[in-house]
Amino acid sequence: MNIKTSYSIDKNLDNAVKEISSGLNDINPEAVLYFASSNIDPADLSSKMQEAFDSTTVFGCTTSGEITSGKMLDNSVVAMGLNSKAVEDIKIEVLENISEDSNTAVEKALKSFENHYGASMHDLDPKKYVGVILIDGLSVAEEKIMDRIGDLTNVPFIGGSAGDDLKFKQTHIFANGKTYSNAALLALIKVGVPFDIIKTQSFKPLDKILTATKVNEAKREVIEFNNRPAVEEYASVLGITADKVSDYFMTNPVGLMIGDDPYVRSPQHVEGTSMIFYCNILEGMELTLLQSENIIDETKKDLADKEKEFGKFSGIINFNCILRTLELKAKQQTDAYGELFSDIPTVGFSTYGEEFVGHINQTATILVFK
Amino acid sequence: MAGVIKKMLDNIIAKRSKGDITMMNLTKAKLIFKGLNPDKFTNTSEDDPEMIKKIRAAAQEMGVSI
Repeated sequence: MNIKTSYSIDKNLDNAVKEISSGLNDINPEAVLYFASSNIDPADLSSKMQEAFDSTTVFGCTTSGEITSGKMLDNSVVAMGLNSKAVEDIKIEVLENISEDSNTAVEKALKSFENHYGASMHDLDPKKYVGVILIDGLSVAEEKIMDRIGDLTNVPFIGGSAGDDLKFKQTHIFANGKTYSNAALLALIKVGVPFDIIKTQSFKPLDKILTATKVNEAKREVIEFNNRPAVEEYASVLGITADKVSDYFMTNPVGLMIGDDPYVRSPQHVEGTSMIFYCNILEGMELTLLQSENIIDETKKDLADKEKEFGKFSGIINFNCILRTLELKAKQQTDAYGELFSDIPTVGFSTYGEEFVGHINQTATILVFK
Repeated sequence: MAGVIKKMLDNIIAKRSKGDITMMNLTKAKLIFKGLNPDKFTNTSEDDPEMIKKIRAAAQEMGVSI
């Protein structure tokens, strides 16, 4: 076994860390990735986790709910250990003050990876290397960081925006035994086993187009769709009245279509006649109205399709949107979702946004290992 | 003149992907996220100077000379 998971719901932090380390230490992990409720003291946790695994690369972030094999949890710590057969090499970099100048921070981090691996980021083989990104979910910096990473390398980066149990006050990234806010962590992994990425969302595209004709990018605000006030036009294509639009945000977000695949952009709230989204929409961007389907069925299908193509999974890291988690909770389907991963060593968390190619919403971005 | 935009975008995709289909799709997706959708342009699309400027800037950011 090259990949193993462990978790704890013990309220005593020392006991929780001990429980996790005793669950993972037998595989002699090269890297430990962990996700924890923000209700657990983050500084204390980060320090104790690093101490427990000594010279291992230990990193993670706070959440709005945790995922492990067979379970969706709250107020817990979940962890994955990967040994040197799964992770041949790993280098992490923490990017600080990302709300101010994220481009310089990304460039500096990728330069450090180049020095570590002795190759240009443009030349690293995307079939042998994968990047993991954990980022402050309140930083509003995800789009810029993903864009700049995408400019500088073909290595795929996948991850999620850290949460804080829906308090929307402060999220934390864990690394080097410390915690960081207004920060992102990039981990570049030379993977020793085959890996792949699943992006799953449970929406079908409708035959209705909304083109963002006036936006305020910095605020993630769409002022006009199709040259009309955003709220009015969104209501019009849905066939509802403008005062009811927020009732439809969860079931009818919009998608940036890449082929047949929607990259979901979810509306957050109404401001006057504008719509504020959970991610950026650029002026001129053509979006397709989406209709929600069943999360369990779609996720199950996407996992099965990938397993058929790829072979049996030995480990899964699941970055699952908090909006999906809230829908699963409302429909009392969290057990069913957890069970999708019951036979596979799995860790994950409920995110404030998912990262793959760009910053997306109402999606699960999943890294699978063979 | 027409079709320059299409050629520029195809050129970025070709140079970044080096013939790998997965990388072609990935590069196309990155361009779409930048607001530059290759499927929206054809060989007869008008050579909009503003769009050409935007694509040149994107190519430079992506380390591609076009």
